[in-house]
Amino acid sequence: MLFQRCLQLGWWLFAVVLVVPVLAGLLGMLLPAAGYFPALGYHSLSTVAIQALTATPGLGKMVALSVSTALLSALLSLAGCITLLATFFQHRGLHRLQHLLSPVLVIPHAAAAIAVAFLLSPAGWLSRLVAPLFGWELPPAFSVLNDSAGMGMVLAFSLKELPFLLLVSLGILSQPALHYTLTRQVAVAQSLGYHPVTAFLKVVLPVLYPQLRLPLLAVLAYASASVEIPLILGPDNPPTLAVAILHWFNSVDLTDRLQASAGALLQVLTTVAVIALWLAGERMLKPWCRQHITNGMRSTGRRGLPILAGMTLTVFGVAMTAICASLILWSVATFWPYPSVLPDDITTIHWQQGLGQLSGPLANTLVLGAAISLSAIVLVVLALEAGRSGPSPGFRLDSMLFVPLIVPGIAFLYGLVWLAQLVAPKAVWIPVYLSHLVYVMPYVFLSLAVAYRQFDTRYLQVAASLGSSPFRVFCCIRLPMLFAPLMVAFALGLAISFSQYLPTLLAGGGQLATLTTEAVAVSAGNSRRLAAVYVIMQMILPLAGFILAWWLPTLLFNPMIRRRG
Amino acid sequence: MSLKGSLCAWCLLVMISASQAQEVQFHAWGGSVQVNQYIQWLSKQASQELGISVNHVKLADTSDAVSRVLAEKAAGNNGQGSVDLIWLNGENFAAMKQHGLLHKGWVSDLSHFKLTNPAQNPGMTMDFGVPTDDQEAPWGKAALVFYYNQAHINQPPHNAAELLEFARQHPGRFTYPLPVDYLGSSFLKYIAITQAGRWQSLLYAPVTDEARDKITERMFAYLDQLHPYLWQQGQQFKRQASELQQLFSDHQTLLSFTFTAAEVPAAVSRYDLPASTRTYAMQDGSLSNVHFVAIAFNSAHKAQAKKLVNFMLSVPAQAYKQRADIWGDETVLDVSLLSAEQQALFVPTTAAPSALPAGAYHKMLAEPHASWTEALKEAWFDRYPRHH
Repeated sequence: MLFQRCLQLGWWLFAVVLVVPVLAGLLGMLLPAAGYFPALGYHSLSTVAIQALTATPGLGKMVALSVSTALLSALLSLAGCITLLATFFQHRGLHRLQHLLSPVLVIPHAAAAIAVAFLLSPAGWLSRLVAPLFGWELPPAFSVLNDSAGMGMVLAFSLKELPFLLLVSLGILSQPALHYTLTRQVAVAQSLGYHPVTAFLKVVLPVLYPQLRLPLLAVLAYASASVEIPLILGPDNPPTLAVAILHWFNSVDLTDRLQASAGALLQVLTTVAVIALWLAGERMLKPWCRQHITNGMRSTGRRGLPILAGMTLTVFGVAMTAICASLILWSVATFWPYPSVLPDDITTIHWQQGLGQLSGPLANTLVLGAAISLSAIVLVVLALEAGRSGPSPGFRLDSMLFVPLIVPGIAFLYGLVWLAQLVAPKAVWIPVYLSHLVYVMPYVFLSLAVAYRQFDTRYLQVAASLGSSPFRVFCCIRLPMLFAPLMVAFALGLAISFSQYLPTLLAGGGQLATLTTEAVAVSAGNSRRLAAVYVIMQMILPLAGFILAWWLPTLLFNPMIRRRG
Repeated sequence: MSLKGSLCAWCLLVMISASQAQEVQFHAWGGSVQVNQYIQWLSKQASQELGISVNHVKLADTSDAVSRVLAEKAAGNNGQGSVDLIWLNGENFAAMKQHGLLHKGWVSDLSHFKLTNPAQNPGMTMDFGVPTDDQEAPWGKAALVFYYNQAHINQPPHNAAELLEFARQHPGRFTYPLPVDYLGSSFLKYIAITQAGRWQSLLYAPVTDEARDKITERMFAYLDQLHPYLWQQGQQFKRQASELQQLFSDHQTLLSFTFTAAEVPAAVSRYDLPASTRTYAMQDGSLSNVHFVAIAFNSAHKAQAKKLVNFMLSVPAQAYKQRADIWGDETVLDVSLLSAEQQALFVPTTAAPSALPAGAYHKMLAEPHASWTEALKEAWFDRYPRHH
């Protein structure tokens, strides 16, 4: 009974922690958008913000750019993901691929963008490699980056999101029940003469896709509203809407904030529109796909897809290797004049300088990340457990989870800071803690909800039928069996918390330096070499978390090892 | 279990945040290695000599701190703000002053402020033509200098006309940041001042419609000729001053400019600029200005912040800041008021080949009235509307 009550309490805590900051964040965006901003002398509701927004030249272009690049990059990464899965399904290489791709998840978006820029900029590696052919002594005057169609941006987004989609797909396909059915269905299809690639397209994909939809929408939302990649690789004449909003919020003219809030509202609408367009496209394609599945052709995609998969892998592999290599080289480079492919010499001064300044921020980052990730897991587990047994809420609580992900951070966080100021004006850690939690919880929830869905509940039924209390079942069966996904969720929570820049800066009033706030401050500066050191540190930290998450379960709850011990 | 645990965590967090709040929070742009190291030195000195601990909040953009103060004001936090001291000048100061976000009437009480000789140096109490009204204290001085890559350029341009000629001869090898960046708007001011001819005095009074037309007509006559020869044919502009230095480092540009001359040799010693970089000042004048520190209206540590600022204006702190190997930021003190022994502290030591040679300045150009920053910027975006 006590356990049940705790679960109920946990559910309510989850709801409060989620709903209150989200509502405060939304309110902090909506009021200025409606022209209400007393601190700047706007005391009544008006359309002044919306008028300022609509008067912006090129607003339509900005929205169009956000929409087109988001759709295109989601499409590209989905296509890459499908070609890889179709080619390697039931192939041993798939799991090796999984281990190869996972680390990419922890590369911060800004780092990926910086690295892509170094590859393709006029003075980038590619240009240096071909310089002898053309006799270039100086970098060419044209650039393939920052093009007005945003293709450099699309490339970076796709590279970054492909592993995410692939890993989620593999997670879905490894659900025991689904895995069992699908492998048999594919076997039947093959015995009917379908080529393995075709069998994947016609048997597995129709089952996989609906489950992949939510992560796909998250990718769409992210690509349409994030700023890191477009800021570095996108055009500036005009930029994407999200980037423009960021500039308005950072404008020295404080009244631009009204326009920025109205812009944030438009951004939400834009993101919703992107998702609606995607869903509409899905519906339009559905009859065509259905007809295609049953047309009896045995070898659709047999030749094309493996070639495309090879190309995807090549582009991906080359890009990732080059990204890592370039970061490492920059972090130790002395002079590196233009046509040279390698730096003149190597030095450790950038590392000495960087590490010397990092000990304090590093400790803050770890304490904060561990506290946040742990509480997110506790709350999410309680909510999931309560949701399984208790009454279902009046509205879909999970949908609230995604609000922070689609509302531009800077508009949303203003409301959060305002709330924190009302409640605890002197606190530093608590506002930061709460604002991180709002961003960490959705991912932890997504990642654990999948594990909960996959869980074979017959174990619980057996334990209960043997007379164990719900609490005992939860502690002795549920938690140990979920240990691996719990650790992965913990590592994911850590990684998300590590990467937060704006929440840390705004909610903490800048008093709490973390690895990421330091890294962003340094990359706004002028030492690319020092920035490389910080970016590498930013990648190592979450990677260490994930490695622990994979390694600990094999150590602690692996029956094979226990028996041997 | 979860309740108790979270209670403990809560108490711990409250304790940590309470202990954090005892120090002066100095919000300052954190993009320069040298400046960061100087502030580190400053905070060490302050804790030793004044018993005040200082935390450098490294900003990527000064407006982040303005946002913070604004949010605090909106929430009615009038005495427990988290921003104590803030490094700023020009537009950020004008905006914060206009919206009442700054602490008033404290600068002239500082004992070291007299050393700046404000009666003789109007630059100490005027920030881009806006009176400081005792709301910010001067901290350092900077002037616009140019640098070029000697390995590829023999003779750099020495005035605006030669700059245009240089761009024609080396298309794509020069650019300036968007005017949203202070270095970008400074470049516009340099062009506006040097092209204004007999209308130059208009720039030192508040903008009028007539003055704007006269000044911008000449400025755009110049820029329209320059843009096709800029980096990326003037189709793309960098948004930040620091990106300008990276373009130079990549050899994409061969000529560039900065407000912190001492940053050039320091960057060369860190390998961030080529060894063949050379610094010089334009013959038709170098735009110069003063940068300041201010206290937020709701700072919880005003007394400590004032003590700190007074220390920042002391002879040892200013002399150390001016050393080329530390920051190289020119002092705001009137050195002639000091004793011979103190004056010796400000004599420059031998400089690296890439550093600005002593006596390199030909002529100083004062900042136009603050209203021109916005006026020139707006005119620029009207003229070239594809950039935001």
